[in-house]
Amino acid sequence: MAHQKIDTYAATLDPEVRQAVRSNSAAGTEKRYQILGADFGDPDPLRKLAGAIKQHTIEHLDQYLEQAERSLTANGVKVHFAVSTQDARQAVLDILNQTGCRKVVKSKSMISEEIHLNDFLEEHGLESVETDLGEYIVQIDHDHPSHIVKPILHKNRRDIAKSFEREGLGDYNDDPETITRRARAFLRQKYLQADAAVTGANFVVAESGRMVLVTNEGNSRFCLAGTRVHIALIGVEKLVPHDRDLAVFLNLLARSATGQQLTVYTEFLSGAALSARPSGPREMHVVFVDNGRVDTLASNCREILRCIRCGACMNVCPVYRQASGHAYRSIYPGPLGAVLSPMLAGKNFSQLGDLPKASSLCGACNEVCPVDIPIPDLLLKLRNRAKEEHLPSPGTPPMAPFAMLATAPMLWRTAMHAGVALDLTPKNLIPVPALQEWLKIRTLPAWRGGKFRSWYKHRPAKGKDRQP
Amino acid sequence: MSHRDQIFQGILKALTPLPERAAYPDYDTAATTTPRWLPAAEDNETLFRQRLTGTGGFFFESPADCAAWLKKDGAKSVYLAPQVAHLAAEFAAHLEVVAEYTRDAVDRIDAAVTVADGAIAESGTVILTDSGTPDRLAALAPWWHIAVVPRPTLVRTIGEAIAAFPADPGIVWITGPSKTADVEGILIQGVHGPGRQGSFFI
Ligand code: SF4
Repeated sequence: MAHQKIDTYAATLDPEVRQAVRSNSAAGTEKRYQILGADFGDPDPLRKLAGAIKQHTIEHLDQYLEQAERSLTANGVKVHFAVSTQDARQAVLDILNQTGCRKVVKSKSMISEEIHLNDFLEEHGLESVETDLGEYIVQIDHDHPSHIVKPILHKNRRDIAKSFEREGLGDYNDDPETITRRARAFLRQKYLQADAAVTGANFVVAESGRMVLVTNEGNSRFCLAGTRVHIALIGVEKLVPHDRDLAVFLNLLARSATGQQLTVYTEFLSGAALSARPSGPREMHVVFVDNGRVDTLASNCREILRCIRCGACMNVCPVYRQASGHAYRSIYPGPLGAVLSPMLAGKNFSQLGDLPKASSLCGACNEVCPVDIPIPDLLLKLRNRAKEEHLPSPGTPPMAPFAMLATAPMLWRTAMHAGVALDLTPKNLIPVPALQEWLKIRTLPAWRGGKFRSWYKHRPAKGKDRQP
Repeated sequence: MSHRDQIFQGILKALTPLPERAAYPDYDTAATTTPRWLPAAEDNETLFRQRLTGTGGFFFESPADCAAWLKKDGAKSVYLAPQVAHLAAEFAAHLEVVAEYTRDAVDRIDAAVTVADGAIAESGTVILTDSGTPDRLAALAPWWHIAVVPRPTLVRTIGEAIAAFPADPGIVWITGPSKTADVEGILIQGVHGPGRQGSFFI
């Protein structure tokens, strides 16, 4: 295979999808740029501060995770820990079984995508319904999100209208307003019928045990108004030390993600709902999930754990814009995914070890990142690791013949002269597979080998006619 | 070994080899998070109105204005939280007033008026709590939600609102109407929560 896997995928992308991904991502980048510029002029001091707070947090994760556990427990929250995908799913299932919950509504959470929670719960006879509009459409289509903030960037209104018709939500109608109203009517029954809500969390404050959840649609709010049990699946890296740090992160998150000052619904939860009130969970569980994060912390790419999942790096990335999210073959696409996905893959690093190559290292991802993650540096480190682990590198010819020539001057000279023959040979007839691979994505210039030696040998002697 | 111990041991093993660990940065919240236009902006009340309207929300001069607008916009019934029961006459002039919010009324009551615990001027945000809201559903399920803001609870910045978090298990900040741009990036208001979000001062 000459192309990187990601190029192969990109080449097959429906032109309409490519256009949608490109224009939507570009619009996201533009909105982010406008609002941060208008509000802060230079957002760098704020980004760097946020990065420093997060770096401090992950480098003191032992202390903060313990503190968060204590604070959450003091708030009446039951805290659980899960090492692997399997453990995390099982923890959720156990809580649901113990509390007699059969119906679940879910608010968008990347970590539940990581562990494929919906499929697992359905296999165990439970109903689990996504409530974010985009995620709901992904679910009924048995598809995967292609962007961490805008999950159905790869679908158009006609695709969605067909899916809704198929699911019995009404006759074919591709008006976005109608689509939204139909989802509203359908999902609101689900909230009210459900026993439990499964959510993620954007932040957990170690000192107060306060959990922050943001949504624009209000779906997480509705999940936490309709149900009696709340289960939050949270990556161990989602902590921040103090309540005051939330001012830094909330001022960056929505601006970076969607160009808003604040997301519409920003919930700060410290435990189950007030017991005197009729609606809202009576109990709250937090499952802290590792699933590769602790190994990432031990690696030289630990900075990626600062990520607050805003999606700005994918919006700005020329490779993402061209290839779309599914090209990354993992839950996290774009520059974030090119680092995080192979890291979280753990022992299966090799399966995603090509992703760090899907970048021109232009640095745009680092510039927009609200926590200033040096993504290009991390990509280089991972390329290095792929090399050390001898992962095949599509499109790169073997270097052994070159090494042989370059270390034997006689052979080198002969090759330089003989190379002229290349100009006279149709390139596609040269029976060297590696060269054919290489040529599929590159062209060879005319042969100029040996010219320098010849010039050097015949150049005028010093002092005569030589130009300075 | 329990999952908990496995995770903590893993973290310790990861962090112990670090020659040094990054320090917590010293910073001033106001100096770093205040938008540059804010110091020269209007007083808090005017600013709140401007920013609320900017998010697609509505601001009303008085309860009577609000009631008239609700009717004009298509609402027929309105739930009034106990703290604003004294405004019943103003609303009853235009709408059927409901004093009780129950779960089976979710699709029957068009509008709800509840009282905010605070508001943020710089973002046009209203702050609701479990203590201040009789039912989470009441402030969420109706198409029209009006969060009444008591003037003294208005703060200027996000940082100030965080510094003054009320002691409540369920605080929610609402900044404009519920919205999505999931379908082809087109903005649609009123996905799961209210399609119309409004406020007036008391
Ligand atoms: S890596 Fe940075 S830019 Fe990308 S999603 Fe995470 S926080 Fe946002």
